[in-house]
Amino acid sequence: MSHGPSASGGALVAAPPHGHHHDEPHEPVFVGEARTQLDTILSRYPTKQAALLPALWMLQDARGWVSDKGIEEIAALLAITPAYIKGVVSFYTMYHQHPVGRHFIQVCTTTPCNVCGAEDVVKSFLEHTGCGDLGLTSADGRFTVIEVECLGACGFATPVMINNDFIESVTPESVPRILAELK
Amino acid sequence: MVSLTIEGRPVTVPDGMSILEAAKTAGVLVPHYCYHPGLPVAGVCRMCLVEVEKMPKLAPACATSVMEGQVVHVHSPKALEARKGVLEFLLINHPLDCPICDQAGECELQDYTFAEGRADSRYREPKRFNPVEDFGGDVLYVQNRCILCTRCVRFMSDVADEPVLNVSERGDRAFIGKAEGHDLTNPWAGNVIDLCPVGALLSKDFLNKARAWELDRAPTVCTGCSQGCNAVVETRDNVPVRLKPRPNDAVNQYYMCEVGRQSYREFARRDRADQPLVRINGTLTEVDWEDAVTAAVGALSGKRVVVLASPNLSNEALFLLERLVAQLNGQGVFRVARGETVPLPGVADLALREERAANAAGARLLGFAEVTTVGSALRHDDALLVVGDALDGVTPSELAALSSLVFVGTTIPTAVAERAVAVLPITNTVEEEGTFTNLRGRVQRFLQGRTAPGVARPSWFVLTDLLAATGGAAEFHLPADVFAAMVSTHQAFAGLDYESLGMHGLPVLASETATAGAAI
Ligand code: SF4
Ligand code: SF4
Ligand code: FES
Ligand code: FES
Repeated sequence: MSHGPSASGGALVAAPPHGHHHDEPHEPVFVGEARTQLDTILSRYPTKQAALLPALWMLQDARGWVSDKGIEEIAALLAITPAYIKGVVSFYTMYHQHPVGRHFIQVCTTTPCNVCGAEDVVKSFLEHTGCGDLGLTSADGRFTVIEVECLGACGFATPVMINNDFIESVTPESVPRILAELK
Repeated sequence: MVSLTIEGRPVTVPDGMSILEAAKTAGVLVPHYCYHPGLPVAGVCRMCLVEVEKMPKLAPACATSVMEGQVVHVHSPKALEARKGVLEFLLINHPLDCPICDQAGECELQDYTFAEGRADSRYREPKRFNPVEDFGGDVLYVQNRCILCTRCVRFMSDVADEPVLNVSERGDRAFIGKAEGHDLTNPWAGNVIDLCPVGALLSKDFLNKARAWELDRAPTVCTGCSQGCNAVVETRDNVPVRLKPRPNDAVNQYYMCEVGRQSYREFARRDRADQPLVRINGTLTEVDWEDAVTAAVGALSGKRVVVLASPNLSNEALFLLERLVAQLNGQGVFRVARGETVPLPGVADLALREERAANAAGARLLGFAEVTTVGSALRHDDALLVVGDALDGVTPSELAALSSLVFVGTTIPTAVAERAVAVLPITNTVEEEGTFTNLRGRVQRFLQGRTAPGVARPSWFVLTDLLAATGGAAEFHLPADVFAAMVSTHQAFAGLDYESLGMHGLPVLASETATAGAAI
């Protein structure tokens, strides 16, 4: 079953289109270099469970999103159940539960930014990326746009995060230029 | 110990107890959802808010320890107002579809909303809707009704030690989730259905079978294995439809395994022997009880009699059988089905036991020897008296050497239909009362939960008749009489009294004896 956006409030991360399945074969992520890196992380904590967030982060870094198969891989390594990991993954909006575009665009729409016109920035992104709606990925696979809660830059409305880059004072007009600079 | 006042009642309770538990000792119920005495405290539902004098804010009674001299108000206007607010929030999205909800009639949300909730809702927005999900095993998840108390999650992680449930997503989108392909197939998972305070987790098996208020209930002891979990058998129009755990700290806390839960089906069988039968001109023919008993005794006398008893017979029945064995100069044996031992990790000494019968310990204490095959106990020309054993797996060749066969039981096996001289129909566990001895030597009572089919009689009653007819002294009018006789003649049961066993049972003196040979 899929848990789509609720009727009672805007979803931060929309579900993928219905009937969308991602059962491509899973190549283990934590081998070689990555495994050594995970072991280093593990050595910092008293319990394996404590390394869950960084492990998920590594997985997402490598694969772009956190798949069920990836969860199974981490579950085996950290000796925690996939269900537990799934709960964690779904709690944090920073983990993608389905594939996203190469450029993951997060627009702050919390009150201060909203007052300064963040909604129009969102509209502009949706229009110029061709994503259609929040959480969906553009047909060319390049973009996914979502709304986020306060990015901690209220003085520079509207802040936008594209992957790991932070852009301040974005206006609807500056959107095409920003997009053009992305590969 | 700490002394405090709850709703004007003075109570003295152990240090560190929660206000909620302390209130129970004063006979005051503090409404609650997430709290359950068998689970770690989570304090997430806020339904247990109470007013404590000198504390600036309302306190969650489940997560607040008692303090010397505390004055607690459970039903003060402030506390009531707060809980009314909690209920209003819970009902923002909760559909009040009680008329079709399987939990209606035993739902804590329904109860507290009735007792303390608002008469109307201030929300006009449409409610959130999410589809029902099959959690695997016997469990169905109706997300719309979930109040996110996390009892199910905590049970699976802390008690069953198999964390397959989680809280997925967060805030107003949160729901109970599980990872793809990881189902609730744990042999103890069914307990989440009982733990769920609302109709969010439902039993597929029980779904739409009955409304809670149509059911009759009787305390019983599960016959699924030698653990002896305390249970309640629920019947609708005299048909057993469900078996639920009955709390007993000394045996099963609040829990029961899947094998036990499903064992109600055996009690609900419809192919029951319900008339005494005697073989006349080669055919089993209905007769009255007197003739059947006479025929049975006739078939047994003058031979060496092997009594094959079921380890699911009560202590009372086994005691009478033991006397019958002595009277007939015979031998008493039993077989017990075996399976895998499946512990519930979070509860000490609770497991689905290897011995899948309720009273193997009782059978041993009462002088019955365990055999693996029926044939091994039989010699040429023996008479076989089968009581309760369904003769599963017994081959015709094993019975070939018998001179006669008498069957006392609930359903007629093929071998019996072919060979028995007499068939005496008895009641099953939920149709009679008596006691079982579990593997730790705890003697526990079970009560009658439904009426017997036809003219089937309680096992102790039939065995009393047989004993009398073979010339043995037998003057019993109640199971309690049989129990008293057993106690007075068996050192192992010394000191026990039928009434004072209560509904939670008591250990026998020689519980070591009972344990010997039992699977731990
Ligand atoms: S869970 Fe309780 S309140 Fe909700 S629909 Fe079922 S019976 Fe009614
Ligand atoms: S399913 Fe039931 S037990 Fe589990 S969180 Fe929801 S309401 Fe609580
Ligand atoms: S509200 Fe937008 S950055 Fe804080
Ligand atoms: S019962 Fe106390 S917070 Fe839920």
